[in-house]
Amino acid sequence: MVIDLSPFYGSPTPFDRLLESLWTPLSISQRGISYPPLNISEDDDAICVQCEIPGMDIGDLELTLTDSSLVIKGERKIVKGKYYRQERPTGSFQRMVNIRTAIDRDKVSAKMKDGVLEVTIPKSEENKPKKISIEAS
Amino acid sequence: MNGKDVKTEERNLPRIKPATDVIEKEDGYYIYMDMPGVAKEDLVIDLNEDEIKVSGKAEYKTPPGRKIGHVEFGGGEYFRSFTVSHQVDKERIKGSLVNGVLELHLPKAEKAMPRKIEIQQG
Repeated sequence: MVIDLSPFYGSPTPFDRLLESLWTPLSISQRGISYPPLNISEDDDAICVQCEIPGMDIGDLELTLTDSSLVIKGERKIVKGKYYRQERPTGSFQRMVNIRTAIDRDKVSAKMKDGVLEVTIPKSEENKPKKISIEAS
Repeated sequence: MNGKDVKTEERNLPRIKPATDVIEKEDGYYIYMDMPGVAKEDLVIDLNEDEIKVSGKAEYKTPPGRKIGHVEFGGGEYFRSFTVSHQVDKERIKGSLVNGVLELHLPKAEKAMPRKIEIQQG
């Protein structure tokens, strides 16, 4: 009689599942988490979207802005050679940010610094909170 | 008071192990590390005997009056070290930081290069 205790047979133990979750696939499309990571903040004048995409030139990125969304698209290319270790993700990525306020589309600016993309989307004038002065008569 | 605040901020930065590729090409080994947000001034590369230590710091400051809506990344202290093989010519190691990716080129030493052996006819 053979008793097989190896993890290759039978149902996966919690430990196997833990190991599996630690192993992130290298291709972006196979990842569970969205890529690239985004930070969104806003002040009275603008919405600021920051995005961590190291190794990308701003010219290789495709930024599309519609009235209600911003789409960041690109591809992280693979370097040719004999790999001993590969941890950096490769492949195409796309991410969409929904915008629910009125924006000034002509004044949108994007810049890239040290692998961090920053898109500033100004809010349109008519949507800004205004102070109304009340005249006492 | 101000100095104290800066210190606590530094301590709160998480330690990040940067994602790294190690590739062998004809002219040597290449190490690529993703270090987004790290400026050239904040990057330190130390070579000590057979060990390369890379450390860098990324910090994002929120301007006053800005509300944070959604956060998926933040600053951190990147740190990683490697042991360098004897095949590498340590004098000629070069590093460059472009768009948040550090590229280290470790050329192979001349004696480690493949060589053809000539056969002499006797």
